[in-house]
Amino acid sequence: MLELQRITKIYNPGEVTENCLFQDFSLQIADGEFVSVVGSNGSGKTSLLNIICGSIPVESGRLLLDGKDITHLPEYRRYEQIGRVYQNPAMGSCPDLTILENLCLAENKNKRFGFGRAVDRKRAAQFAEMLRPLGLGLEEKLDVLVGALSGGQRQALSLLMATMTPIRFLILDEHTAALDPKTAEIIMELTDRIVREKGLTAIMVTHNLRYAVEYGSRMLMMHKGNVILDKAGEEKAAVTVADLLATFNDISIECGN
Amino acid sequence: MQILLATCEVFLKSGFVFSLIAMGYYISYTILDFPDLTVEGTFLSGAAVFAILISKGVNAWIALILSFFVGFLFGTLTGVLHVKLRIRPLLCGILVSTALITVNLIAVSAGMTGDFSGESTSQISYGRGAPTLDNIFPLNLIPARIPGLNLALRELILFALVAILFKLLMDWFLSTKRGMLLRATGSNDRFVTTMAKDCGNSKILGLGIGNAYAAVAGALYTHISGNVNQGMGIGTVVIGLASLIIGLSVFKKVRFLRQSTKVILGAILYQLCLTVAQKLGVPSAYNKLIMAVLFTGALLLSRHGTRAKAATKHAQEVKKC
Repeated sequence: MLELQRITKIYNPGEVTENCLFQDFSLQIADGEFVSVVGSNGSGKTSLLNIICGSIPVESGRLLLDGKDITHLPEYRRYEQIGRVYQNPAMGSCPDLTILENLCLAENKNKRFGFGRAVDRKRAAQFAEMLRPLGLGLEEKLDVLVGALSGGQRQALSLLMATMTPIRFLILDEHTAALDPKTAEIIMELTDRIVREKGLTAIMVTHNLRYAVEYGSRMLMMHKGNVILDKAGEEKAAVTVADLLATFNDISIECGN
Repeated sequence: MQILLATCEVFLKSGFVFSLIAMGYYISYTILDFPDLTVEGTFLSGAAVFAILISKGVNAWIALILSFFVGFLFGTLTGVLHVKLRIRPLLCGILVSTALITVNLIAVSAGMTGDFSGESTSQISYGRGAPTLDNIFPLNLIPARIPGLNLALRELILFALVAILFKLLMDWFLSTKRGMLLRATGSNDRFVTTMAKDCGNSKILGLGIGNAYAAVAGALYTHISGNVNQGMGIGTVVIGLASLIIGLSVFKKVRFLRQSTKVILGAILYQLCLTVAQKLGVPSAYNKLIMAVLFTGALLLSRHGTRAKAATKHAQEVKKC
């Protein structure tokens, strides 16, 4: 169980550009939930993910993981249990390292980075087997620099690497937004499969309303730092893209657009 | 013929010595993208520590290792300023190298005379007879009476030996998990964070190594200059960076050479250029100008993505192992 309790987040406090995004924001995410989060730009979706991961500090409130306060746990420590895939495919891997090196690095997560040999060539065959089902030809390119791969290939690799080692949470930050429709579809299906197979708790921010409707067990719509729609289970299953669009339009009218 | 040989000795010797700075910069500049100015201070610190210990009768190899650690320590200080206090790379280098001017002055004075005011002496000279690297084990195994193998040649062998030793050390380090984490930090530090590792630690470690290498270069340089003086660190940043960039860009397409080997060759090439200029009769006052021009040339040569190429090369090397 992940709990956000009365979180307040203010950007640029004390400056003319001060912007209070979250005021007493609370949210609970149960183990095993696959939460898709939609909302307009600036509604606080990515900030929510950043707060969970510890990428940005909060002004007040608490973040609890299984009842344990992790509000002040440094970002890198939180990733011991979190895997994260970013919108930008370049963020989830090291462009100057080969696929094999990246995989060896990812496999060593939560272990000691000591003076043992970094790349184990014997593992190459196993990694190739792991990459083959993707159907992207990555298994042939183990010694190619990740920087030379396409966005879709990189994102698939990022997703695989983020979930290679045992984690509890998978954080997906518009991870299909920079991909072409076909590739986005492949990545989305892969995501769903991994989340199911590994029994992960996933939080996915997306602008694709269809993905939000089709995937996941719970859906949140955010607006100006508030959750204005929270549907799970049967209720969630009943939501259609048309419903979501209608709600979106209502919000826009409120804002005077 | 004699003159030609003597000339070769000169640029090869300085080439090997300064290749150590360049190798350090391979870690801090090429991999971590950190233009580290601390080197001017740590080069001298390494020289001072080495000379003080030698003059106290400490074994020269132990003195060399200790100067390595002193350089490492000051390098990590730059890293801590950058990582923990969030000071910009250039400023960190300026701060620490400025502080080191005092530290080195006091160290020399206190180390030689016990005077902590720093006013008694600012130089260390040791005579040719002192038991230093070129006349203790293993260099003393070379019989003294081989014709043509004079003192200068022995020094050349020594410098080549030390440079190759530290090259192998670096190659090994970069092939370890710790080394790969360092390369990953330079490539994408966000990714290292999501690997649940503090990327700041890697940066501090990298700067430590860079300066440890510079300190060893300083210690070796005392053999060439025969003394330690407070001005000897000046210009080492340019020499180190230019050597590195020349090496990586001139030998960019040479696939069978390791990156570290290219860096050593770059350092030698750079010294060769300076020596040629000197032999052509260019007055030594023009040296720094020539250095800056060479450096500019190297930068232009390296335009086409040195960093990506460096990574490709390393990837191939790891495959070879």
